[in-house]
Amino acid sequence: MLKAKEISNKELIQETFDLIESNSHLNAFVTLNKENALNKAKAIDNKASDLSLSGIPIAQKDLFVTKNLRTTCGSNMLSNFIPPYSATVIENLENAGCISVGKTNMDEFAMGSSNETSFYGNVQNPWGENLVPGGSSGGSAAAVAAGIVPAATGTDTGGSIRQPASLCGITGIKPTYGRISRWGMIAFASSLDQAGPMARTAEDCAIMMNEMCSHDLKDTTSLNKEIPDFTKNLNTPIKGLKIGIVKEFDLSTLDNEVVKIFEESKKHYESLGVEFVEVSLPNINLSVPTYYVVAPAECSSNLSRFDGVKFGKRCKNPKDLEDLYIRSRSEGFGEEVKRRILIGSYVLSAGFYDAYYKKAQQVRRLIKNDFDNAFSKVDLIMTPTTRGSAFEAGSMNDPIQMYLEDLFTVPANLAGLPGISIPSGYVDNKPLGVQLIGNSLQESQLLNVAHCFQTSSDWHLRTPSSEIR
Amino acid sequence: MDKETVATISYLSRLAFDKDNEDKITKDLENIIKFVDQLESIDTSNIDPLTSPLEQTAKTRVDEVTAKNRKEKFLQNAPDANEDYFLVPRVVE
Repeated sequence: MLKAKEISNKELIQETFDLIESNSHLNAFVTLNKENALNKAKAIDNKASDLSLSGIPIAQKDLFVTKNLRTTCGSNMLSNFIPPYSATVIENLENAGCISVGKTNMDEFAMGSSNETSFYGNVQNPWGENLVPGGSSGGSAAAVAAGIVPAATGTDTGGSIRQPASLCGITGIKPTYGRISRWGMIAFASSLDQAGPMARTAEDCAIMMNEMCSHDLKDTTSLNKEIPDFTKNLNTPIKGLKIGIVKEFDLSTLDNEVVKIFEESKKHYESLGVEFVEVSLPNINLSVPTYYVVAPAECSSNLSRFDGVKFGKRCKNPKDLEDLYIRSRSEGFGEEVKRRILIGSYVLSAGFYDAYYKKAQQVRRLIKNDFDNAFSKVDLIMTPTTRGSAFEAGSMNDPIQMYLEDLFTVPANLAGLPGISIPSGYVDNKPLGVQLIGNSLQESQLLNVAHCFQTSSDWHLRTPSSEIR
Repeated sequence: MDKETVATISYLSRLAFDKDNEDKITKDLENIIKFVDQLESIDTSNIDPLTSPLEQTAKTRVDEVTAKNRKEKFLQNAPDANEDYFLVPRVVE
């Protein structure tokens, strides 16, 4: 429509802000970029641009720093933080013509699986009142699912793109570790964090990937590998492809409806010519305990930068420097963030380092080896994305139960592999995704398989009823 | 996990907790540590730790100034600063 000039750039952006307003009950956005976005749109109306994503409204997770636009990371600690620069991902998308309309709500510092740890309040899943959108990229998932924006950015440390994508009925991909620059992403667990797109379809994710990926000298873990055109291989027939099913994941513990969706999804792929093979990943069930040593350890180290001195919150009337550190941090961080910092400090402390941190890194190696072995036999691995569909806000109070939400998603982060969640069915009118995990750098293949599924199914086209309020 | 350990790691983390909250935090941490103790069940002798999926050492670059002095901008975000420095409560008497 933009290209055919049926709608002006300014009208499209204004319409986006109208949608944000009429969906304000979702609480998907923390900060809006209205004036700036409208000005950019007007500028494109005045002088046509041939950039690939010219004028497309995008929502940015509030974990990416944005120049001159408040960036909170879902925390009270950063409630007044105006970054002096933009993340590479933001720059890449804006250089491609995208218009950032606002910053999306998220679990505080990306630590959570339900968006309930945000200082700025819960996000509502557009599929039902009082349902969580998943997390940590809950605001981005809700904004896409509600049709406010065609795509949003997310980040995924243990499932924070794929789990909310599953719970909100959209498509989300976590690329290979290092594919997308982490420069300007507020760090949670640096060896696991990876940015990625969230959109309605795999095709839209591919278009976003084309702009988000770059080799970035400012991020020493940025991969210097050829970046393919991720849209080029969409529609390649997948006949003969081998997909592995993980022997060690006991699906009988899940709800029948969840298993049914997984099995029907398998049948659908079989109808497209895919062959399913059982693969063994003997250590995969140790992924969550491994993750909950590695991630808190890295988190406690990364979050030590929030000291009330250089930026962020500072407590009132500190009596000395020590008091300033302790009270600024205690007042600035929420409960879950503090819990993870404490676990991190514990597993890194003298006497426990070998028993926990080193041990977890050794198990991490075994998990990665398991994947290497599996990928010598199969092209992809398929699992449910989540244990179930969206749950009610306030219903999951045990931290460990919440951590187990990430059962199927954390292994890909530990091994640095790409994973995608694809809308694949509904349980009681609540969407549910199926996950495909690919070998290192095989995002094109993942996106193609998802695209083939989506061009022969309609799960991804369903939208929440407008009557749900 | 006992209250004394929690007090030690809280201090290491530069975090303080209300007395009312101590029992809950101790219990939560105990449960989490018990949960990750599953890792003990597996033999990892002679397994190299995996610190990053890339397994490459950090790249180096020529030591050149790539961003000009932006002191003013960065000081703007400080809770307390003068023209040149971040300000904190007096450290030396």
